[in-house]
Amino acid sequence: MSVTLTHAADLSNESVMGDHRLVRFSRRAFAVGTIALIGAFALAWRQQDAHGFAMIWLQSAIFILTLGLGAFFFTLLQHATGASWGIAVRRVAEAQAANLQWIGLLFIVPMIWLVATNRDWHGLTSQGGHGHGLGLVWPWADLAHLTAEAPAEAALVAAKSAYLNTQFFLARACFYCAFWAIAAGWFFRTSRKQDHTGDPALSQRMRMMAFPTLILFALTSTFAAVDWIMSLSPAWFSTMFGVYFFCGICAGGFSVIALACLRLQSLGYLRGVLTAEHYQDLGKFIWAFGVVFWAYIAFSQYMLIWYGNLPEETVWFLARQVGDWSWVSIALLFGHFVIPFVFFISRWMKRWRQTLAIGAVWMLAFAWIDLYWLVMPVIPADVATFNTYDELAQAYAATSTGLANPVNYLMLVGFLGLFIGSASGRLATGAVLCRRDPRLNESLNFENI
Amino acid sequence: MTTMTPDRHDHAQVMSAPARVYGIMAEFETAEQITNAAKAVNAAGYRFWDCHAPFPVHGLDKAMGIKRTILPVLVFFAGLTGATIGFVLQAFTNAGSVSIWALVWVSGYPFLISGKPLMSVPAWIPIIFELTILFSALSTVGIMLFMNNLPRLSHPLLSNNRFRRATDDRFFVVIEARDPKFLRSKTEAFLKTLGSRHIEVVEDR
Repeated sequence: MSVTLTHAADLSNESVMGDHRLVRFSRRAFAVGTIALIGAFALAWRQQDAHGFAMIWLQSAIFILTLGLGAFFFTLLQHATGASWGIAVRRVAEAQAANLQWIGLLFIVPMIWLVATNRDWHGLTSQGGHGHGLGLVWPWADLAHLTAEAPAEAALVAAKSAYLNTQFFLARACFYCAFWAIAAGWFFRTSRKQDHTGDPALSQRMRMMAFPTLILFALTSTFAAVDWIMSLSPAWFSTMFGVYFFCGICAGGFSVIALACLRLQSLGYLRGVLTAEHYQDLGKFIWAFGVVFWAYIAFSQYMLIWYGNLPEETVWFLARQVGDWSWVSIALLFGHFVIPFVFFISRWMKRWRQTLAIGAVWMLAFAWIDLYWLVMPVIPADVATFNTYDELAQAYAATSTGLANPVNYLMLVGFLGLFIGSASGRLATGAVLCRRDPRLNESLNFENI
Repeated sequence: MTTMTPDRHDHAQVMSAPARVYGIMAEFETAEQITNAAKAVNAAGYRFWDCHAPFPVHGLDKAMGIKRTILPVLVFFAGLTGATIGFVLQAFTNAGSVSIWALVWVSGYPFLISGKPLMSVPAWIPIIFELTILFSALSTVGIMLFMNNLPRLSHPLLSNNRFRRATDDRFFVVIEARDPKFLRSKTEAFLKTLGSRHIEVVEDR
């Protein structure tokens, strides 16, 4: 049976092979990123706030980590489900995921440096002492210091020291980063190999590898979220935290895939290859995982803690409901759920390039704010001395979010520049489409029914 | 009764009274043929007609000139209705102290649970959510059935032996007799020009 092509996909070299257009784009991104990073370092040096800068570094690095992990998850999902629509999009996701080959260094190198120097950070921070070594960021890393600052919390944290100790923490971090780097690199290289050989066995091999990799992806991303974000408040715990982080991964990662596809087409690539049908499905992914599933998980986490009303659990949310943080919380509720939910509910909003681009940029911004909200707030040390929420809110009414600090945005632009530059530079070295995937034709002819 | 070509499946039946004509059915062999035929029928201005295929044919809806259904919009409002009912139900029963008449007099019963405020919206969200889903899902199915005139016990096409191959390897275009442009001889001739190998008048028995 012959299938009528409803549109003409341009598979010429100019349309599918990376060339000077992408190289130029990549160089620009690197240039902007480098300038922003230099600005961030210079400004941070003048601010002389080691703790504050370390937190901004952590949050920015986690942000681009989620973008890489989101694309990695997308790639794995395409292989595991055998979906054909995404084949035309997959290379973009693979190139983005392959950034995981270096993103891990943004964590490992500073961590090892902190441990190796084991410096006393006391006095070098805006908020009093922060202990030795990793204690600059993670309070559990310097138990002696934590005991002096908050004895009640330290007792709870000491009980977790079998898991939360510097050696094991470093070993785990190395494992996560090594796994992401090796796996994402392998999927990218294997897919590129198929561009030359056209061997259908490679599709099968990637598919078989996708299943164990998905399981390890779930475990590593969950434990990384627990290690790097949840343990910032080491006495606090939430069993939903890993899934919550996963939703953030999807919101940011899928948005960047959509934006990268739009950018490639505006550069003159993939003409007629990606149609409104593919964009609609990318929009569905953002909407389903990044908006609806995020709200579902965020609310489930909130409601259980709100209902249970146990002091050691509610403090985490209390810290996010005082001062300016309450506005960030409300902004997340509306900006990460209500507004994009209504915005993206119609199919046309996902099919029109302009509205998809607006929605994707919006979700990317709120994925960043979501991470900021996760990483930055500090639980007030004297929270247990207040009788009511109103008392606490009044005492901490002046709590600042630090969102006015330009270092946040310089680091964001800096890391994002490296991320975009690296991914587009990688795309420029070969095809921007899985052009010899055995099922490419299915993807090109894909239509939503 | 009238068959254009002899058909081994179709045992000719002699009817005492002339049956009402349901429409004219044209058989095609490929998805491409039926897509082209659908374009032509649509262009010819017919309104009461349909295509039948053993699998979803991409682009057929467009070729037939079918507009998108308004079902999603209706479902959106059904979901909103469910959310509203979920909220009002809980606000009334858990936090309201008024009485309303709903066949019998019913009163709200304000009750403090674990020190939470009476209007504890976070606790209500799961029920609001479930009612939203329930109303959306049931109305999706219900409105879909209503819009398609379902359920129905029989259809003239289903008593046609030839038509059985619509679930196997043949594609059919059926133009109904109630169409204002329908004229038996003309419509038959028109369908013939579309390249159909078999054209048949379907009766409403």
